Amino acid sequence: MTADRPLANPLVVLREEFDDWAILFDPDTGHAFGLNPVGVFVWQRLDGRHSIDDILTELQDSCQEVPGEAGDHVRAFIDHLLKNGLAGYEYQI
Amino acid sequence: MRLMRSPASLDVAITGRCNLRCLYCAHFSSARDVPEDLPASEWLSFFEELGRLAVLRLTLEGGEPFFRPDLPEIIEGIVKNRLRFSILSNGTLITEELAAFLAGTRRCDSVQVSIDGSKPETHDSCRGQGTFARAVRGVQNLQRHGVQVTVRVTINRTNVEDLPEVTRFLLEDLELPAFSTNSADFIGLCRSQADKLQLSVSERSRAMEIMWELEHKYPGRITALAGPLFDVQEWTKMAQAQRQGGPPSHSQGHLAACGGVFSKLAVRADGVIVPCVHLSHIELGRVNRDDFGELWRQHPELQRLRERQLIPLSEFSFCRDCEYQNYCVGGCPAVSFTRTGQEDLPNPDSCLRRFLEQGGHLPDVRV
Repeated sequence: MTADRPLANPLVVLREEFDDWAILFDPDTGHAFGLNPVGVFVWQRLDGRHSIDDILTELQDSCQEVPGEAGDHVRAFIDHLLKNGLAGYEYQI
Repeated sequence: MRLMRSPASLDVAITGRCNLRCLYCAHFSSARDVPEDLPASEWLSFFEELGRLAVLRLTLEGGEPFFRPDLPEIIEGIVKNRLRFSILSNGTLITEELAAFLAGTRRCDSVQVSIDGSKPETHDSCRGQGTFARAVRGVQNLQRHGVQVTVRVTINRTNVEDLPEVTRFLLEDLELPAFSTNSADFIGLCRSQADKLQLSVSERSRAMEIMWELEHKYPGRITALAGPLFDVQEWTKMAQAQRQGGPPSHSQGHLAACGGVFSKLAVRADGVIVPCVHLSHIELGRVNRDDFGELWRQHPELQRLRERQLIPLSEFSFCRDCEYQNYCVGGCPAVSFTRTGQEDLPNPDSCLRRFLEQGGHLPDVRV
């Protein structure tokens, strides 16, 4: 099990829309969630290889003037995805 | 003009065949009435492309989708590619087994079944002997398996006075949460006997009055994107805006009634990609041959249809001196085409001034 490397639920569709915003669409429930560009950035790195710290580092390298509380926001966002079944952790069999 | 990278949804005519010949069918004798159906294998390849483009929803229509024996295989392809779907049907072929299959996919948004009467005499007079009982059985099979049913009532000359009973039957006896209405339009088979099927001006006024009352009796449970209920809702707003003289919205006063080409496309049963099933004469390309995303973003015919909303109604002699011009959006381009031979003209059937000049009236509104 990759304990700190979350993985996007492969059933969930990322539909990119205008201005780098996107919709996460769960086809099993029909629920859709709006993502801002930072949410898209994070989602695209939920590949089971990036830890949350890795994602934060990449975010800080890619954006200017990243606020101090960004780490808390990213962790809260990923927690939200995990609670809603939109992301999880991969198990090695 | 802003455009999404791919359409959010598609209308897909998975077959041109049907077990019925309803008198006002929009399919037969129209440009979407093509002789060959695409084989399931081609649909499955196309759904893979849609999955890659993050298209979210398909509406399966025909013909009659349940007429295809390989419908479950086609639906499994939809599910596999992370899409949801809904189905437009006459309801007569929906067995218990098929309803259970749809429920089991967990991806079916709804099945729309056509029911035009509260009793067999009304419904069957346009759709064929025995079809009322079979359509109702189809609805009940879906309900038993928890599949959402959205009945569509096509208002025509034979069912205007039955509308209160149809409404009671659907909302109370069948306990549907809601249903929608439209009307027999000058499209498909209806064109050959429009005088027997399409509402006259006085029948249209009467149907608007009845639907207006029913809409108030059952608030929020009857919807319409065309037909008498839609007309009365839209025309009432137009007449009030004209009386008050308020500023029109940015799209009013232009041919802006149809926003479909900004969010969806359609595919004919033979795999030809078209802007809308009702504009099936405009052939944009073919599935599995043309790049669907590129076609969506760059096809000149789509650009032309998208720019239709920039054409001011003041350009048309038909609209000249009309007091409602600033609040009108010109009506459905597909009916404009069948009425006038061009999409880029106002639809005369959607014209409030013409309706009033011919003796029509709106309920509860003085104009």
